Amino acid sequence: MRYLKIKSDKIHPFLERLSTYGALYGPVKISEEFYDYRKIDDVKDVAFEYTRTVTPAKKYVIPTRQDMFEFDMDTNEYRETIGEVEPFVLFGLHACSIVGLRILDGVYLDEYPDKYYKVRRDAGIIIGLSCLPDEYCFCNLRRTDFVDIGFDLFLHELPDGYLVRVGSEQGHKIVDENQDLFEDVNNQDIQNFKKFERKRHEMFQYQGSFDNLRYMLELTEDHPLWDRESDKCLGCGNCTMTCPTCRCYDVQDIPDIDGVHGKRIRYWDSCQFRSHGLVAGGHNFRETKKDRFINRYVCKNAYFYPLGTAYCVGCGNCTHFCPANIDFLKNLMEIRGISEGVYEHSR
Amino acid sequence: MKIGIHGLTSCYGCQLSMAIVRRLLDVVDKFEVEYFYMLSSKGDIADVDVAFVEGSVSTDMDEEEVKKIREHAKVLVAVGSCAIHGGVQSILHNEGIDYDQAFATVYGDRPIHYRGRVAEPIDKYVQVDYRLPGCPPEEEEIMYYLSTFAIGSWPEEKDYPVCAECRRAGNPCILIERNEPCLGPVTVAGCDARCIKYDIPCIGCRGAVPHDTAWFDSLAKTFKDRGMDKEYVRKRMAIFSAHHGKLDEMLDAIYGD
Repeated sequence: MRYLKIKSDKIHPFLERLSTYGALYGPVKISEEFYDYRKIDDVKDVAFEYTRTVTPAKKYVIPTRQDMFEFDMDTNEYRETIGEVEPFVLFGLHACSIVGLRILDGVYLDEYPDKYYKVRRDAGIIIGLSCLPDEYCFCNLRRTDFVDIGFDLFLHELPDGYLVRVGSEQGHKIVDENQDLFEDVNNQDIQNFKKFERKRHEMFQYQGSFDNLRYMLELTEDHPLWDRESDKCLGCGNCTMTCPTCRCYDVQDIPDIDGVHGKRIRYWDSCQFRSHGLVAGGHNFRETKKDRFINRYVCKNAYFYPLGTAYCVGCGNCTHFCPANIDFLKNLMEIRGISEGVYEHSR
Repeated sequence: MKIGIHGLTSCYGCQLSMAIVRRLLDVVDKFEVEYFYMLSSKGDIADVDVAFVEGSVSTDMDEEEVKKIREHAKVLVAVGSCAIHGGVQSILHNEGIDYDQAFATVYGDRPIHYRGRVAEPIDKYVQVDYRLPGCPPEEEEIMYYLSTFAIGSWPEEKDYPVCAECRRAGNPCILIERNEPCLGPVTVAGCDARCIKYDIPCIGCRGAVPHDTAWFDSLAKTFKDRGMDKEYVRKRMAIFSAHHGKLDEMLDAIYGD
């Protein structure tokens, strides 16, 4: 892999250069506590010290609501409305977010690629950024805390800048075209990189692996936890909306008032909503709130074969953004039969 | 296709919203509007394919009228929070205040020429086929309902809460961040979380999420954990959900009787 260094005073010029490759999006502080990815008009707005965003990066490849095509009921014809997607740059994605996008790739770009997804995914340049975990993070337990693929460039924090890993042809191109901003990595940088990684590793609340969780969940459908925790659940869908890998959408046909034309749209759906499991004839696969609650736990812990990880990347968003304070990680540990106190604490 | 647009006791905001849709000319092109009380006092309740009814049943006359509308309509749509949930005027029901006592407090012994009563949603008196929620409904949703009827189909009602639209919009969650008494989790979506976008907690004006999925109990627990007392929480939830059959039962389960 190719490694370079960019010094702190070059980072804003670097962001400005990035915006010449496409519309630049990155993490921005939007309130006292929250951050979100937003269009960057002034590179000084980019927040480097953020942990998580209200909306995950998936919104750039799966818009929250998008038009699919228009139709004409007189002629029985339809017209695609995907259009051209201008190149864009997503700056500041953490490792979990990058794995999240790769999981979405596995779902949307399989043998029958979703064209609405592909056109956006192909247009995006991904710039990763290192992070330090907060109390909600458990990507280490999911083995998604470090990425070696899925980005064009990845920036690792150093005391005086960033160590840059180049992860794609596009990444090489960006670096080659902006050589004046980069320099070689020296021994001190390598020591600092190792130090950062060690510090980061030690900051995670828990150590271990969740690889066997899927099976434990399947074997534990009658755990008393399900009643207790689903009782607290608001069914609001915050957990799935903020999840980097939740990918369910609903489709709706919107006729025009002329009674002839119309369009088909799709928008983010959630398995926590009643109609998600409702099918023709009135049967609902997940009739109760408890059924829907369990569904998310089972879905997120299922094994995603192409990557060899779970669908959950351990970002902690579902816990952080739960108004009812339902703790996904603690619940999973309880199901594994490991209470917080006896789990391998790293500190 | 014939439609009628009716108003019972309410602010007439829903009818106004329907009267000022940008493509009004296309609407009147598509439908024969048999009755639209807000726009013209001419005409009478006639046979229609779809009747839209705004307002709550708050007088004897309202009851007679809504029953007559129903008899003449193939499809009846309850429009807005008053028709669907009884509206803010259900405060008497909410507070358990007797109508005559309330009347005397406000008007003394002045006589009025009709018999008033505690406001109720129209489905207490007639069968409602579809619900077009809002206070008032959004133009986009009004047009969607009309358009689906125009092609002989029917609207798919939203059955998920404001939170979904709030997260899609990328708003910060003010319930989590500032312990605001936001009713987004129990309120049916469709407004694109407008109030939260303006930093104001949801007051629940669009009414409870349908199909028994408004979890007032879980939200009450969330509020209780944040230090809000039962009286405050009930009062807030009851503004637009006074007639919700499970509100008190759910609050009692969290706060006790």
